[in-house]
Amino acid sequence: MNYTKYSKAFAVLATATLLTVAVTGCSKDSASTTKQETANWTGKITIWDGPRWEEAGNKYAWIESQKKAFETSHPGVTVEIVQVPWAELNDKLGVSIAGKAWPDLAPVDISGNGVNAAFLKQKVLEPIDEYVTADDKKDFLPNALDAYTQDGKLYGLPGGMTVHGMLLNLDIFKERNVEPPKDGKWTWDEFVDDMKKLTYDKDGDGKVDVYGLSTYVKNGYYESWPFLYMDGGRPVSDDLKTFTFDSKEATGAMKKLADLKTIPVAPKEMGSGDVGGTWKAFSAQKNVAVEPWATWAIQAAQKANMKNFMVAAYPTGSGKPVTIGGVGGWMMFHQDDAGKKKVIADLMKQLTSTEQQVVTAKNYSVFPSRKSAADQNPFADNPQMQQAQKLTETAVMMPKQADWKKIDEAIQSQLQLVLNGEKSPEDAMKEAKKTADELLSK
Amino acid sequence: MSSPQATEELTKTQLDAKATPPAIRRKSLLREMWKQRAAYLFLLPKGILFTAFVLIPVIWAFVLAFQEYGVFGSEWVGFKNFKSVADSEAFRTALWNTLKYTVVTVPLQVLIALVLATLISPLGRRAQSFFRGAFYLPTVTSMVIIAMVWRWVYNYRYGLFNYVLGFLGVPAQDWLNQSNTALWALIIMSVLIPPGVGVIMYLAAMDSIPDSLYEAAKIDGASEVQRWWRITVPLLKPTTLYLTMLSLIGSFQVFTQILLMTGGGPGHATETLVSLIYKTAFRDLEFGLASAQAIVLFVITLIFGIAQYWLMYRKAED
Repeated sequence: MNYTKYSKAFAVLATATLLTVAVTGCSKDSASTTKQETANWTGKITIWDGPRWEEAGNKYAWIESQKKAFETSHPGVTVEIVQVPWAELNDKLGVSIAGKAWPDLAPVDISGNGVNAAFLKQKVLEPIDEYVTADDKKDFLPNALDAYTQDGKLYGLPGGMTVHGMLLNLDIFKERNVEPPKDGKWTWDEFVDDMKKLTYDKDGDGKVDVYGLSTYVKNGYYESWPFLYMDGGRPVSDDLKTFTFDSKEATGAMKKLADLKTIPVAPKEMGSGDVGGTWKAFSAQKNVAVEPWATWAIQAAQKANMKNFMVAAYPTGSGKPVTIGGVGGWMMFHQDDAGKKKVIADLMKQLTSTEQQVVTAKNYSVFPSRKSAADQNPFADNPQMQQAQKLTETAVMMPKQADWKKIDEAIQSQLQLVLNGEKSPEDAMKEAKKTADELLSK
Repeated sequence: MSSPQATEELTKTQLDAKATPPAIRRKSLLREMWKQRAAYLFLLPKGILFTAFVLIPVIWAFVLAFQEYGVFGSEWVGFKNFKSVADSEAFRTALWNTLKYTVVTVPLQVLIALVLATLISPLGRRAQSFFRGAFYLPTVTSMVIIAMVWRWVYNYRYGLFNYVLGFLGVPAQDWLNQSNTALWALIIMSVLIPPGVGVIMYLAAMDSIPDSLYEAAKIDGASEVQRWWRITVPLLKPTTLYLTMLSLIGSFQVFTQILLMTGGGPGHATETLVSLIYKTAFRDLEFGLASAQAIVLFVITLIFGIAQYWLMYRKAED
């Protein structure tokens, strides 16, 4: 090999360049960690956010406007926005924690459930009690604040609340001469009767093409769960020590839901994990008359030109009327600098202020978590959100159990098999109980 | 190096090397490396990247497997994570699914590559170039796109699969949402994605088989199939071995299509080892346990790889 002196020089240069890039690329932003124990901290805050409502073709317009406002009110502070699709947010946070490269501030998806137990266990969340006044705390709805409270410490600020409700395509109801439920309430028997009428062969080819109901089953999503609660069944006991989804009330409700496919008033796909396909069937293909969704879907349906729809409650069984609620908001990740911590808390408060909660409620189909924002009646001109708001009275939150994600997976994976007709509810929940009991007895 | 003179020289060098004490051998190796320092300098950037992004993480994973990893401090737990892996029903299910997937897809992928290369090989230069490109295209296409297309193919109501089966009188199936069909649907998808790398490698290997062998067999009265079976297939053994190893490692690490198409469901019917490792690490933040699972996967792949190499290499030697 006869290398010229130029090629040797090039190799040296290439190596040197790579080393320089590696070293500088991996170093921390030293400017952002200046040790100032005061509110005069300056530097960069990294915030993650998912797409929200669209303004001039931009789904990040709201967070960008917040960045501008905050940089104006805090000279010397720059806010860097990292756009993350909601579906990837939790995984991306997990990866960032593994690499000790977490953001300063990140949201919990609005259909999420407040503070993340795995993050707490890893001590990567900052408690923020010292930055929230007692008056401020009083303005938040207690159950919203409770979602971010663990062991008496507050780990986040709720930006909004959501609830699951049934979306009804009133065009199909009209087409089939079916009266929508009065005041959005129906019993299980009334519901099944209506679903039968709404299931039909639209094009006359002898095959059913429009079904009454469809939903999906997927880890971390609870659209189908209020059905399972209707006779009083719950996944775990109030003291979070016993698995109770194997009770007669729960398995009976599971059977009722699964049987909808055999009547049939629900398509064969009901119970799969296909979120997008389920939504498309309702909003675009319009071959399902009723689907349960979290409230974000109200705004999505309005944007999808579904003018004629309403929100109703889940059908009631022998238990009390019930639905499942969720809380979304902002969490601060581990900080070494007290000055920076205070500035991040300021930004959290700005993002969850009364004014911003009204804006978010109007545009993003979430209920304010502040009483002062709810008092401003943000849904005055949104009948569907008004209907959904009534459901909040019956909303319950998911259990705040440290290993909930694993218990949830154990239940959801078995629930898929129940809805597929592959397993009886009793056998399925017996299987889920094995995992759940192990985790609950820790 | 095929001349007798060269072979003799090579053997002599090997004998000399065996006769030289290790210290002297090391010295001469270092001297030789120093002589070629410019070449090593060119290799250095890649070496640094490999060390930083492959070697160190692999070593780190081994260390992590014996720890209860915490972001702000870890605790040494010995073999506890490995015990958890052994006791885990989820891991056993994922292992069984992965084995099923591997045992079916690996031989079929290699066989399909061999058959396609055999069909392309006799064509003219232009036609060969076209088919090489056509079959290599899916290799450079994102699995995300491929998975989206296949989701449509398998759709219960609008999918191509059920549409075609309808003509044959076979009732429609919800392929991805039933325990008894979901994994098979993923296997069929993997098998039907053209094995671009395999085709290219087999074509290159076929080009190097001397024509004289085929001519001699022709004179002896061997049919085309016999010539393929007796000459082509045995002479392609090293390529087959390499492709099988590559395919085996890939199959054991199947993940993207699982994540995109079934998420491991229904139930745990399509949960594979890598999807389980991913969940353990990034959903549950149990990095120690995930590392232990990854090491068990590494050991299983290694055992399979060695066994396969040993079997095929011995056959090739015979």
